[in-house]
Amino acid sequence: MSLNDTLKNLRENGIDEAKRAQRLQELNDLRVNLLGKKGPITKALRGMKDVPAEERPEIGTLANNVKNDIQAAIEEKMDELNKAIVAKKLAEEKIDVTLPATKQVQGTKHILNQTIEDIEQFFIGLGYEVAGGYEVEEDHYNFERLNIPKNHPARDMQDTFYLSDELLMRTQTSAQEGRDMEAHDFTKGPLKMISPGVVYRRDDDDATHSHQFHQIEGLVVDKNISMADLKGTLDALCRHVFGPDREIRFRPSFFPFTEPSVEVDVSCFNCGGEGCRICKYTGWIEVLGAGLTHPNVLKMSGIDPNEYSGMAFGLGPERFAMLKYGVNDIRDFYLNDVRFLEQFKGVN
Amino acid sequence: MKISTNWLKEYIPVNHTVEEMANKISLTGIESGPVKLGEELTGLVVGHITSVEPHPDSDHLKVCKVDVGEAEDIQIVCGAPNVAADQYVIVAMHGAHLPNGVRIKRGKLRGQESNGMICGLDEVGVPAKYMPEEFENGIYVFDEPQKPGEAVYDLLGLKDQMIDIDITPNRADTLGMRGAAWEIGATYDEKPSFTEPKLINDKVKEFSDIDVAVENKDLVPDYLIRELKDVKVGKSPLWMQRRLWNQNIRPVNSVIDAANYVMIEYGQPIQAYDLDKLESNQLTVKFAENGDKLNLSDNDKVLDQNDLVVSSGNQIIGLAGIISSDVAKVDENTTNVLLEAGVFDGAHVRKTAQRHDLRNDASNRFEKGVDNGIVTEALTRATQLVDQTDSVKEISETIIGSYIEAKPTIIKGSVSHINHLMGLELTTEKMVGILERLGFNVEVDGDNLTVSVPTRRWDMSIEADLVEEVNRIYGYANLPNTLPAGMETRGGYSPKRELNNKLRNVLLGAGMDEVINYSLLNKKEVDDFNAIDTEYTKLLHPMTEDHEYLRSSLIPGLVRNIAYNQARKNADISIFEQARIFDRPTGQDRPNEVEYISGAVSGNVVSDSWNTKAQKVDFYYVKGLVEELLNNVNADSDFTFVATDEYSNLHPGQTAKILANEQVIGLVGKLHPNYQKAHSIDDTFVFELNVDLLFNLNKKSVQAQSAPKYPSISRDLAILVDKTVENGQIIADIYNNGGKYLKDVNIFDVYEGKNIKPSHKSLGYHLEFLNPDDTLTDDEVEKAFSLVKDSLVQKFNVEIR
Ligand SMILES: [Zn+2]
Repeated sequence: MSLNDTLKNLRENGIDEAKRAQRLQELNDLRVNLLGKKGPITKALRGMKDVPAEERPEIGTLANNVKNDIQAAIEEKMDELNKAIVAKKLAEEKIDVTLPATKQVQGTKHILNQTIEDIEQFFIGLGYEVAGGYEVEEDHYNFERLNIPKNHPARDMQDTFYLSDELLMRTQTSAQEGRDMEAHDFTKGPLKMISPGVVYRRDDDDATHSHQFHQIEGLVVDKNISMADLKGTLDALCRHVFGPDREIRFRPSFFPFTEPSVEVDVSCFNCGGEGCRICKYTGWIEVLGAGLTHPNVLKMSGIDPNEYSGMAFGLGPERFAMLKYGVNDIRDFYLNDVRFLEQFKGVN
Repeated sequence: MKISTNWLKEYIPVNHTVEEMANKISLTGIESGPVKLGEELTGLVVGHITSVEPHPDSDHLKVCKVDVGEAEDIQIVCGAPNVAADQYVIVAMHGAHLPNGVRIKRGKLRGQESNGMICGLDEVGVPAKYMPEEFENGIYVFDEPQKPGEAVYDLLGLKDQMIDIDITPNRADTLGMRGAAWEIGATYDEKPSFTEPKLINDKVKEFSDIDVAVENKDLVPDYLIRELKDVKVGKSPLWMQRRLWNQNIRPVNSVIDAANYVMIEYGQPIQAYDLDKLESNQLTVKFAENGDKLNLSDNDKVLDQNDLVVSSGNQIIGLAGIISSDVAKVDENTTNVLLEAGVFDGAHVRKTAQRHDLRNDASNRFEKGVDNGIVTEALTRATQLVDQTDSVKEISETIIGSYIEAKPTIIKGSVSHINHLMGLELTTEKMVGILERLGFNVEVDGDNLTVSVPTRRWDMSIEADLVEEVNRIYGYANLPNTLPAGMETRGGYSPKRELNNKLRNVLLGAGMDEVINYSLLNKKEVDDFNAIDTEYTKLLHPMTEDHEYLRSSLIPGLVRNIAYNQARKNADISIFEQARIFDRPTGQDRPNEVEYISGAVSGNVVSDSWNTKAQKVDFYYVKGLVEELLNNVNADSDFTFVATDEYSNLHPGQTAKILANEQVIGLVGKLHPNYQKAHSIDDTFVFELNVDLLFNLNKKSVQAQSAPKYPSISRDLAILVDKTVENGQIIADIYNNGGKYLKDVNIFDVYEGKNIKPSHKSLGYHLEFLNPDDTLTDDEVEKAFSLVKDSLVQKFNVEIR
């Protein structure tokens, strides 16, 4: 057999063997055996000395091609086997993605605090400071400074937990108004604050009454505050809380510390104003009380009502949350059943 | 108060439905709702009983023939004891609808045909307690002949349409029909017209059988009496009676009814006394003496020196402004009458009425105020009504106990300022027009207004009141929406609130649910956790024992929440609350309000699942929460945990006080097993931190450092030490001796028990050394490590293993 034929044979057999290999090891062995220094190709090339000189280059090229072709066949097969191995491994690793997750639980912020913070963020955006205030307050700030002297009939509107003749559990976050006005330096600009917090009334607890609940008081005092400013502010608030399509309306009311005083209704977010059970078929829902700060209240804080005017509003987070989420019993907020609490995860 | 539109029509035109009117009045003035009486009623006519025969088969039934305006009388069987021939009565015809879905049908009663029903007032919708007493147990009988077959609704006011106004305390001016007419008139731009009451001239004489005196004129600015002589007391006319029962007032007799009617008409309460029943010829308004008695039909009231009374000699004939005693009551035998119209101090009336549980229509009006400009007229009107059927022979002039002439209130305002406060630009003309609609008199001088407000609007006193009147009548709906246009302000939270928010977020991130609890606890709860050892703060008049004391810890609330949840099979609970506790130092009335954050964890912190094993909460889990909170305080201080057994409801071996710079800032621990048992809860770990104290700690100033460029070298240390030695002591000692390159010490093993010397434990520590500026050598580390070991051996007698 000529060297030429020997090489061609080697190529044919080598490629054939590579194709038939089932394991990577076989291919490695094949490479070592066929292409190694002791392999048949190397061996065959030793017979080059018997080949006429003019044919040598041709044989040399052929020998290289045979090597390359076998090498390529081995690599191709190796690639094929590797792919099969990975595929098999992946198939084995398949899991049931519908099995439950390993829990990564965040806690749930109390829905009342979510409601309060939503409103706080709205007002912070409008440049309001969030103030604190005392839960145990003096009669002086809770009533007298709000134009509610002792024996004023308006004291009937709210029954009070007293600690002593002069100390009480605040019945309204408006109790903060006097303190904030006193503390404010009007040369540095207007007073714009909201004061969220807990208030107390001497009430029996039932589905709609609670001896403890939250309020957010808002107060702006500046040189040009008007009823229109109050309406615009509360209109924007109600759209923020209850949706962009809401409208508000003012109805005359009475609070001793504002004049004029209004109740504020928002158009029903459930029926859009057509009338339903939630709005008692009126299309409107009462959501807060407001007004222009009574001149006496300004005066008692050393502010000249001829130069300055103020607007004030008070709203109830419990009421907002009850309306917005259909909570029917105010006591649910204070029972803290985690199943109740956790349903509000991330609503605000 | 309910405003009858039929009555209102006497003063202003009424051209709208009560629904429309109630809505408009609500938007411009006073919250109102429509009331439509007797909408369901049909088939009720006047009947004239022509004959009454006994029923052949019944003792109490009677067979009546009744003329109902038809060609023939109809037969009706009636069981009322007071039925008699020639009466004019209410007949419910066959097919008539009565209240509560009752339908009248033709039928037979014990064999006798009955073609309808003869009705009592309560059967056609007048509440039994407001109908005349004489008809309480029978049918209603008209006093006067009526036209048979005519519908009875208007005669009896059964289908009156009303506007129910729910006033705020400042608008008591509308607690009378005339005041309401002014308000509704202003709403519809209709000026009300009223007829002035007139007495028959030759009956009015200058005489007085009684001396009237007021001892406390400051509390009783007006006190007027008229004496009416030779009065024939009878029934008041039907028109008056029906208006009264529709106001929920029972008609009694012509004198009492007239007094009540004037209260509704003018808003001015009137009292009537039987002159001949008075003990003396003195009538005195004064404070009662302790122990004086007020006789009332149902029970007597014992009075004291704070009660203002009307008295005659030693006799108390009334509580001033509230109620008359029974001793001088006007009845059908009365012949000489005193009518009283007074103005009494609201605060006193309020207190007395409250104290004796006697708040009523009269006291309600004095509490909120009455128009002292119409007292005289109201008294004249009451007199006129008593005499409307010429039943009085002589009438005295007004006898004055006290009297101050009422004057209009003058309010100055400026058109521009009022516009300014509204955010509107009304013309002077428009503004004045609105004020005049309200019946105010306005003088204009350029921008300045001088407004004369009649006495009936005693709620008005300052310019701001004018702003409200102008704005509401102009319509709040017409206000533009603007925002305050002042100087820019920076909004935001206070730094303390920021810290509270940050700490809350840490716990939310750790999977804890936020709760909100009541601040008022019962005695037991405040006793349970008084870790801060404060004086309790107690309500003077709690509603219930459950909410009597201000909390001095948030833990009792959290325990209640856990008990509530675990009773409902929510076993694994991780909750926190951020709120105030009340800390009252001895000798101080007012408690300090201190911000706290507190948490409780019970049950599993990792639940049993297909791929995880349940892990129960333990001390170190909750300690981890606390440490993460403290890390977020960003305080430049060392926090240490010191074992304590001083809290009776915490586990004596699993509780630590938390200290910052030697100051106690909180605690962490397990609830005492007995306490857990008493509350039926599982093993529960709690913590509380005083946020105010944390807030006051010096802030850490963080100076950024690059991540270390040189490798660290570590050493492990295993020691055997007496059980009583705490990890904290060992760690502190290692740091003290580890030199400046000791970076970190971690405990990685704690073991006691088998193969360990009795009452000893084995501890394993991992020490990490690092020189940020150079490569450490083993020599340097070995030197430091030896010092550490030597010290531990010396101080704690440890065995290095
Ligand atoms: Zn609706």
